[in-house]
Amino acid sequence: MNPYLMSFLILVALAVFARTMTGRIKLLMALEPADRFNRIKDRLVNLVVIAIGQKRLVGRARERSSGIMHAFIFWGFCVLLIRSLMLYGEGFQEGFRLPVFGHENLLGYLYLVVKDIMEGIVLVMVLYAIYRRAVIKPKRLHNSFEAYLVLAMIGILMISDLLYDGARCNLVNIYHAAGISYLNHPGYGPEFAWTPVARAAASLIGGLGQPALDGLMQAMFWLHICTQLTFLNILPLGKHFHVITALPNVFFKSLDYPHDKPKLLDLEDEDAWENETLGLNHIHQLTWKQGLDLYTCTECGRCKDVCPAYVTDKPLNLFEFNDHLKHELLENADNIIKRAELVRQLEQCRDQQEAEKIKEKISGLNSQKQLVGEVIGEDTLWACTTCRACEEVCPVTIEHVPRIIAMRQGQVLMAEAYPKELNPALKGLERNGNPWGIGYDKRADWAEGLEVKTMAEDSDVEYLFWVGCAGSFDDRSKKVSKALAQILQKAGVSFAILGTEEKCTGDFARKAGNEMLYQMMAQENIETLNNYGVKKIITACPHCLNTLKHEYPQMGGNYEVIHHSQFIARLISEGRIRLKPSVSGALTYHDPCYLGRYNNVFDQPRSILKDVCQGSFKELERCGQESFCCGAGGGRMWMEENIGKRINLERTEEIVRQQVSSVAVGCPFCLTMIEDGMKELEKEEEIRTLDIAELVAMSLA
Amino acid sequence: MKILTTVKKVVDVELNIHVKDGAIVEDGLQYVINAWDENAVETTVQLKEQTGAETTLVSIGGGDNTDIIRRCYAMGIERGIHIEDPALDKADSFIYARVLQKVFEQGDYDLVITGKQAQDTDNGQTGIILAEYLGLPCVSNVIGVEVIDDKHLKVSRAGDAGTEIVEVELPAVITVDVSINEPRLPQMRGLMMAKKKKIEVMDLAALGTSAEEIGCAAPKSEVIEFMESEKRSGGRKFEGDPAEVTAQVVELLASEAKVI
Repeated sequence: MNPYLMSFLILVALAVFARTMTGRIKLLMALEPADRFNRIKDRLVNLVVIAIGQKRLVGRARERSSGIMHAFIFWGFCVLLIRSLMLYGEGFQEGFRLPVFGHENLLGYLYLVVKDIMEGIVLVMVLYAIYRRAVIKPKRLHNSFEAYLVLAMIGILMISDLLYDGARCNLVNIYHAAGISYLNHPGYGPEFAWTPVARAAASLIGGLGQPALDGLMQAMFWLHICTQLTFLNILPLGKHFHVITALPNVFFKSLDYPHDKPKLLDLEDEDAWENETLGLNHIHQLTWKQGLDLYTCTECGRCKDVCPAYVTDKPLNLFEFNDHLKHELLENADNIIKRAELVRQLEQCRDQQEAEKIKEKISGLNSQKQLVGEVIGEDTLWACTTCRACEEVCPVTIEHVPRIIAMRQGQVLMAEAYPKELNPALKGLERNGNPWGIGYDKRADWAEGLEVKTMAEDSDVEYLFWVGCAGSFDDRSKKVSKALAQILQKAGVSFAILGTEEKCTGDFARKAGNEMLYQMMAQENIETLNNYGVKKIITACPHCLNTLKHEYPQMGGNYEVIHHSQFIARLISEGRIRLKPSVSGALTYHDPCYLGRYNNVFDQPRSILKDVCQGSFKELERCGQESFCCGAGGGRMWMEENIGKRINLERTEEIVRQQVSSVAVGCPFCLTMIEDGMKELEKEEEIRTLDIAELVAMSLA
Repeated sequence: MKILTTVKKVVDVELNIHVKDGAIVEDGLQYVINAWDENAVETTVQLKEQTGAETTLVSIGGGDNTDIIRRCYAMGIERGIHIEDPALDKADSFIYARVLQKVFEQGDYDLVITGKQAQDTDNGQTGIILAEYLGLPCVSNVIGVEVIDDKHLKVSRAGDAGTEIVEVELPAVITVDVSINEPRLPQMRGLMMAKKKKIEVMDLAALGTSAEEIGCAAPKSEVIEFMESEKRSGGRKFEGDPAEVTAQVVELLASEAKVI
């Protein structure tokens, strides 16, 4: 069409784009390291399933319509990439075709038909998206000018391309009617037999004559090209950066464990205390992957929709959380890049005086704003229950929780600022190895008279029953420990407990940022466990399970850990225990976060419950991957909940709505929270809250 | 202002304490800062934060008190003294008070803050006797402190009839109750830094006194024997028709409990 104009536009657009992108990439490279380049095959699978397959968009029943909408726009974009190359070619040479996608072969025609239909679908989807934003207004969406601008641009891209094709189609017909080949090439014309949507566009402009059609084609062409190049340059500036970063972000997501495990901090390192490098205290301490997460957040709000804190009116709004961090990151971009350079210089510097100078410069480059307090509110940071519902629904696999834990570490270790109501629990942990602060020597009292051996008495057993603090000290949960002991004895399982040698795993302390107490607990426990040569552990507490299984390996504790629901299901399938359904009335199940979302145990509890239930088994509205937290995770069990509605009430009301006579749980904290909720709603007589082990013990044949 | 605060290392009373042959079974016991003394430390640190007071801590006996004193450093105390002497093994409140008197006289202090009692012996004497030995005013059972000026404190104490507000001239001794404040949890950074801080360990000679002078040979009180406390038996639950149950209870109170 116009090679000079085309070259100019491409050069300018790419130059601006390259400049923005270099800045963004340089900033990522200046952040802390994260090892995400291993296991390329697994990463590619994630890329295909989650990103290209749009798993979390089309896979969620609650969000299916918008998911399908997004997926088609995404797939449409993928298809249209090839078309764009052709158009850029046409800018240099009219009628340009890519080698394999030309008129000469079937692939070219197949591509045309797919592209044409996709364009039509994308256009419809864009209209639906605008309708959804403007009329339906889903709560989670936050309407912005940018959102409409981008939708409008996508619409313009589709319309201009369709009209371009339509005008050409009409032109070809006019030429053919006059017996002339369009562009002097007999190959033009038949392709439009494959493009129903473009033909529909052609019929819309059927009345135009040749000069008008020529003009329209030109106009649509340049409109398309300019819109596309502008679009490209707008992307990195806002939330639509995800168009570029989502694929790499999914590719680099955590493998195995659902998110980055809390970093094992070296607390003996005096420099770390001096330089405030423990925990996340400054924006430059983010890892590059966390930076990429921030670039990628699309502000779709799916996270807050499922967030127990947000739903109950706490000040935690994850997309704002991301947005505020992103702005802080971008505002400090230059300083962060300079800082990284200075840190490199410092590492190579041998001269002490010079080193002091560099150090001074480095500390001058810190952000002026307090990360917690000014960028992120304190109440916001401490509202998180670490339930991971947000991460499970995030279409671009952003890991919110590790960042929150790291920031809490910074608050506890460096700023010494945290909710003081945690103190009694922390003190209890320090003195007696349990958050209740009850004398450690009473840990095995629940087992009195049950003929449960301790490891000290006989360590030649197959399984260690890890009782946990709740199971040992909380009167309600002690009944669960007794029920489980009874089941194990009935099945003839060879097991023992640690008794007074067991201590809290440290889960709540770690999730509340108190890495020091966590490490104290972990170290002592691992020593005890390794001394006895423990290999297999059964526990009724998902928090203990998660910590023993996933976090103790960081400190040299490697065990095969299994939740009691998994173990009981195995006992049933092996015929080692027999059950007769004895639970009357309807039964439902509340999935504990640390069992379900953290450890993927969903099926075994359900299969057991169906075995013990005489009436029907009903699922809650929010169940499985999207189960709703009881409110006790992440150390929240030991904090006040003064803002908004109580999370456990929100969940208990949901259970009450199901009109069941019992609710089963698999976690001592859930047990407390839901039973408390039932008491508050005065439903505790009607709906019993029971642990899976209790239901099984009642039903032993 | 210069404040002297006392801290005692005591057995953790959250644990079951067992007695064998009239002595406490040491196996499995753990030691902590006396709860009331933790409040004394917190009070001291708060006064330091308000007035810039100099803070010194003294702990007597207990063997290795490093952990406890470091904890207090981490809470904000600046200087720690540990008096350790075999002659003090059987010390009672009077002897403790004598030792504290010696420490006080060496330091030109304006205020002594002690916990009102220790959770191991529950005597509640040391602070008061110290005031007597020093000839200083003493306010006990303190639940609030306010600084009026360099020489005066406004102190509230829990009295029998209600809260008493007392103005006291310094130097003075106050003994605090657990309700006065919520002691801060020593923070990790502080604990790390506390490792580097020196603890002044002295015996009686270093303190400029002797076992004879403070009366170690003849303590005024002596522990002869320990006995295990009786286990509380569980309550009994009565269910059924209120009239019948009442009759049952009355009957049992007369026949079994013999209280009516």
